[in-house]
Amino acid sequence: MASVELVNLHKSFGTVEVLRDLNLQVSEGEFVALVGPSGCGKSTLLRILAGLDEASSGDVVIDGEWVNDLSPKERNIAMVFQSYALYPHMTVEENIGFNLRISGIGKPEIRRRVGEAAQILDLSELLKRKPSQLSGGQRQRVAMGRALVRNPDVFLFDEPLSNLDAKLRVQMRDEIKRLHQKVRTTSIYVTHDQVEAMTLADRIVILDKGRIQQVGTPTELYRHPANAFVAGFIGSPSMNFLDGVLSKNSKRATVSLADDTKLRFPTTDNLPAEGNVRVGLRPEHLQISKGGKGENTLRGTLELIEPTGAQNLLKVGIAGQSLTAVDNTLAELSINQPIEFSIEADKIAVFPPN
Amino acid sequence: MIRSLPKFSTHAIMIIGVLITIFPFVWVALMSTHTRSDIYSSPPPFYVGSNLIQNYGKLLELMPFWSILWNSLYVSVMGTAGAVLFCSMCAFGFFAYDFRGKNLIFGIMIASMMVPPVLMLIPSFLTIKFLGILDTHFALWFPGVANAFGIFLIRQYMLNTINRDLLDAAKVDGASDFRIYWSVVLPLIKPALATLGIVMFIGLWNNFLGPLILISSSEKQVLTLALRSVQSIANSPWGAIMLGTFLSMVPLLLAFLFFSKQMMAGLTAGAVKG
Repeated sequence: MASVELVNLHKSFGTVEVLRDLNLQVSEGEFVALVGPSGCGKSTLLRILAGLDEASSGDVVIDGEWVNDLSPKERNIAMVFQSYALYPHMTVEENIGFNLRISGIGKPEIRRRVGEAAQILDLSELLKRKPSQLSGGQRQRVAMGRALVRNPDVFLFDEPLSNLDAKLRVQMRDEIKRLHQKVRTTSIYVTHDQVEAMTLADRIVILDKGRIQQVGTPTELYRHPANAFVAGFIGSPSMNFLDGVLSKNSKRATVSLADDTKLRFPTTDNLPAEGNVRVGLRPEHLQISKGGKGENTLRGTLELIEPTGAQNLLKVGIAGQSLTAVDNTLAELSINQPIEFSIEADKIAVFPPN
Repeated sequence: MIRSLPKFSTHAIMIIGVLITIFPFVWVALMSTHTRSDIYSSPPPFYVGSNLIQNYGKLLELMPFWSILWNSLYVSVMGTAGAVLFCSMCAFGFFAYDFRGKNLIFGIMIASMMVPPVLMLIPSFLTIKFLGILDTHFALWFPGVANAFGIFLIRQYMLNTINRDLLDAAKVDGASDFRIYWSVVLPLIKPALATLGIVMFIGLWNNFLGPLILISSSEKQVLTLALRSVQSIANSPWGAIMLGTFLSMVPLLLAFLFFSKQMMAGLTAGAVKG
């Protein structure tokens, strides 16, 4: 186990800047997820950490040691690839034991350690098979076994579940979480799936355009997003954004929407300046109300109902824009009917305009 | 019946193709059992004759056949092994690494394939003479071990079949560059190596022009040269020559069987994609 630190990390390919002045600290045993849209630099960051790519400037520190010039092996990290990257010509046993074999470890010891890893990952029955004879989930487990067998200081996962079907993904997610709880190895996990990140990680790092947007626990990011990008990225379905005009005094603030709806809430320190703003409303915080005269009531027309079983997703036209709301009550509604929603004052997020 | 017609015609065409292909081999085999006069009789004797032993004796009289066969075998095996090793190494370099001028060097290499081999005859003779390896077997097999065709063939195969993540995974596993080449890449490109192996072996085995200009000592002769040299003498002993020709085909046949098995093994191992 080891801590990982990135100091002023910068990477560019020619004139394209991929990572800019990145600083991050991961403590021992922590599970950190790097999340961001495609092309935000998260895989590049992981490759730099692994020693597969070089940073243009900045430092990588693992366990207090400056490792910029060390090879992947010398960094004692293990990496699980998106494509699994299993050696097709080797059996499961040889795949898992490959790094031990080239480290010159004796055969009985290799067999023992491969056996242990296989037991943890429930692969004992499959040791003599080739990767082509395994299912996607099994291949994924072999890839993890290969990482696990060498007792690395840091685990790196590069979108390991994105090639699996939805059901298997949930199952493997649980397995990864269970595995981490068992071995407590520092883990850095790259994904573009925020649900995966939220469920797995102790802390999440949100990346966009090569910059860290926010670092925090899943709950922190959900409740107190630093900016509209984070707010929109975290949460499923994603947050609704409405244009409005902010006015505030020392105690109360008000946002007027295009249809003259007023949203009122207590003034906080991090509110943007008065004038044009974007209001963020989470779909799950919009409650259907009837004849609501209270504050913070939005009125609109129901445009679409998307049933998902446990809940219905409602697409509603409000103030000239389309919003998504989650209806847990499965109310009997019909398309084009007028509909009202209320939202609690402390659930309203306000961001500067684009 | 109607449905099996396309299948029948396909088989018929294939059988005719096979017959045309193997006819010369069978012909050579049969002629090696006849005397010269039998061969020239009309109609030609398309059956097994009784002169095999005499032809064999005549063949050994004409040339030290087995030592010449050994020379050919030595040159072909060394050249094939060398080509498979060096071409794959070089292709690995072009495949796995990014370096300045990579595309330019690769382009020049490909362009060199367009120069007709005959044009290179004199320059290569002069080079070999300059190196002082004229009249050696080394001069026959070594210059071709890193050839543009082989490098191109293997690099293309690598590009199509090897996921670059495999190289990264091996690096993270702690494999050295040579280890990655040897333990990860080589086993995955067996079909391409087998293809190159067959092409090289046949090319070297059948090489006539090279030995003709480079080899002068009789004890260093190879089969192509030796078999050709006895055809010019008066009353060419065709029975013996046919026997020599037939025997010279056997190693080629074995080489083909060996490599094609490798080729099949590589193809059926599958699972190139994760």
